[in-house]
Amino acid sequence: MEHSIIFWPVVLWMIAWGVVGSVVTPRVFLRRDMDISNASLAGAFVGAASGPFGLAPLWYLAPKSTRGWVLLSAAGALAILIAAFALADPDNVCVTNGSLVASQVANGLVMGTIYALMAMGLTLIFSILRVVNFAHGEFYMVGGMSVYYVSAVWLPEMPPAAAVLVACGITFVIGGAFERLFLTPMYDGRVERPIEYAVLVTFGLVFFLQYFVQALAGASPVKAQRFFDFPIIRLPSAEDPWLIKTSKANLQLFDTVSVSNPRFTAAVISVLVLLGLLFFLYRTWWGKALRAVSQDRQAAAVAGIDPNKMNMLAFALGGMLAGLSGAVLVQAFSWVPQVGMLPALRSFVIVVLGGLGSLPGAFIGGIIVGMVEAAGTGCIPDPQRAASYIPAYGMLILTLTLLLKPTGLFGRRE
Amino acid sequence: MKILTRTAVIATGIVALAASAPALAVDCPVKLGGIAPLSAPGAVTGGEAQRMGMQIAVEAINAGGGVLGCEVELVMGDTEGLPEKGTALFEKLISQDNVAGIAGGYHSSVGIAGKEVAHDKGVPVIFASTWNDQITATKLPEVFRVAPLSSEASALYWKFAASIPGTEKVVIVTENTDYGIPAAEETEKGLESVGLASTTFAVDIGTQDFSGIVQRVNAEGPDAIIVLLTGEASFNFQQQAAENGIGPGDLPFVCDILAAESASFWENVPDGNYCFVGQFGLPEALYNDAAKAFAATYKERTGKEAVESYAIEAYDAIGLLAAAIQQAGSTDGAAIIAALEAIEYDGALGTVSFPYGQGNDTAAAGVEDKFWHQFLDPALMIFQYQEEGQKAGDAPIVFPDTYKTGDAVFVNQ
Repeated sequence: MEHSIIFWPVVLWMIAWGVVGSVVTPRVFLRRDMDISNASLAGAFVGAASGPFGLAPLWYLAPKSTRGWVLLSAAGALAILIAAFALADPDNVCVTNGSLVASQVANGLVMGTIYALMAMGLTLIFSILRVVNFAHGEFYMVGGMSVYYVSAVWLPEMPPAAAVLVACGITFVIGGAFERLFLTPMYDGRVERPIEYAVLVTFGLVFFLQYFVQALAGASPVKAQRFFDFPIIRLPSAEDPWLIKTSKANLQLFDTVSVSNPRFTAAVISVLVLLGLLFFLYRTWWGKALRAVSQDRQAAAVAGIDPNKMNMLAFALGGMLAGLSGAVLVQAFSWVPQVGMLPALRSFVIVVLGGLGSLPGAFIGGIIVGMVEAAGTGCIPDPQRAASYIPAYGMLILTLTLLLKPTGLFGRRE
Repeated sequence: MKILTRTAVIATGIVALAASAPALAVDCPVKLGGIAPLSAPGAVTGGEAQRMGMQIAVEAINAGGGVLGCEVELVMGDTEGLPEKGTALFEKLISQDNVAGIAGGYHSSVGIAGKEVAHDKGVPVIFASTWNDQITATKLPEVFRVAPLSSEASALYWKFAASIPGTEKVVIVTENTDYGIPAAEETEKGLESVGLASTTFAVDIGTQDFSGIVQRVNAEGPDAIIVLLTGEASFNFQQQAAENGIGPGDLPFVCDILAAESASFWENVPDGNYCFVGQFGLPEALYNDAAKAFAATYKERTGKEAVESYAIEAYDAIGLLAAAIQQAGSTDGAAIIAALEAIEYDGALGTVSFPYGQGNDTAAAGVEDKFWHQFLDPALMIFQYQEEGQKAGDAPIVFPDTYKTGDAVFVNQ
């Protein structure tokens, strides 16, 4: 960094006023007998973005809803950080190369969407069963392996979409069967410590699935072929395709944003599935029943919903969402039986960041983690460290969120 | 009958040594430890090839009468490519399985961690494919190596990059390991010495998503790319680079040695045509009888069309250990080490010996410490895939001129 004398004082100033805001604001709100659940977060962002000039009116006005303050000051803090970075390191590739920035943003959105899909499965399970599924990464792995074996080994003529459906079916069945066989003892008092039991039994599933697949398929990396090749498109003209230019493996927009074929396909399928999931949860009886159980188990039972059936459905559906993430990414990454470990870790980060049990939180959390990873990888000046810190970027955001809002961005207190 | 003939050829060296060795009482069977990465994040494809190489070696030795009148038993272990797993595996093989010696190894991090255990216990280890110079440079009596030195492999890469017409800037993508970082540094130094600029990007072992790094590499505008990743991470980077227009089909691109495993390479990197691949060990046309016999068995067992260098190295590492035990007439560590220092073993790699060691110290001989217990004559070359789906054995060797069988295709020329 060329002028670190600019960057680090700005960061220290933001941290100092952020700390002041996060500590003092809840006390100010408490003195006025107000809800303090978002006070730390609001104080931290307002302090970081505007120092005493924003904190003074916040404390004086003490608004009932701080959502607007948070959003505005978060954007402001981000803008100040970017400006300080640009001034401090004017030769940084993120400052000088708009094409790189655009591609990183697009990539962050694409990967964030896929992360979100997987994390929503994890949070769905938690919201209904109050169980953290440690085998979530293995459902992801099984989804990918299923697509590979169906489309490349057993039935090479089968269309990729059908292979993805088969993978969904397999992971749905594994999830449902596992819940019936191993999690039901939690509900009827057959185990003394249900939470510890759930941790152990899902950990058991991790090892079982990893080694079972390794025994069946071996440990060498495999990969499904691209679901389809892009048609060659040059717009507006073949001579100057500034709008859209495709090769069979890549799509380029505006001569700047570059997205590879497998990621594009995966992101489109993920968005469609997310829309389908929203429809299922908000427009169908089963979806409404799931949400009802997640909100109040006893009230849902009184209304005629069988919570046990919902447990099975939630676990099967959650596993299927992870399996689907794997199914669409097996054309992008090489696949081994241990491939689910990192995505599972990332899902835990996203779910806690967004708020345990919150579906919108999982979606927003996924996008945030995807964007932060892309920004970190693209802009950290030292190329030897930029990619090495990938797992740390999400952890950093998670730590900050837990400090300021322990329930996560969209979480609620029990 | 064919297999019996091959076995006879393979076993000849060991039997010849046996004739001159005193027969002492040892506990049968003689156990030898085999180490390889057999699950992720290790380079599983390489580990499986090594395991097969070692198994074939043990079968051949037993078919030739074993060692000191005993059958040889191979005790395989999985390092996962992780140093902590490697340390635990060395402890287990030595303390629990009571192996007389250890052979194999793929990841340098594992070698660096494991050699200390071998040293503490006084058990000889012959590293097959761990390249880090420090593995031998620490001059431990128990540590031997048949793989090339990292600095020699790096020299091959930077000299090749320097030979590419019009190259001014090279990007190196490496892993944060005891193999990747020194190898990248040595390659950078070499490139600098011939006036080429370079930038190194480092990632953790087992990385899947390279999209951010690929964009940054692209922004650097390189004339050539050298990949020093291992395992499936190398496949991931190579394919993702190709999908973003900076792959082997777009500019000179040196893939990881794992690309020598053609079937796995083409499945995982379908857009990898024109990839340059380092090969360590003689090309098949120059194989000696031992290598030909091994290659025939290996291909028959695996269904592969070519033999990877790490499989041959692992095969010879086991053969060397067995020959040294036979020559020592004992499974005592010190006796085996003394035998290895004096050995001239006709293996698949050629005649393997370790000229520098306790009897001929590197300092006294005026050579660098990295040559301690180091096989000095590994053949180093680069071949290039020039057709989609091509077998490694059919691909032309394009560098250096000594081994050249065809011209390189530089896609950006």
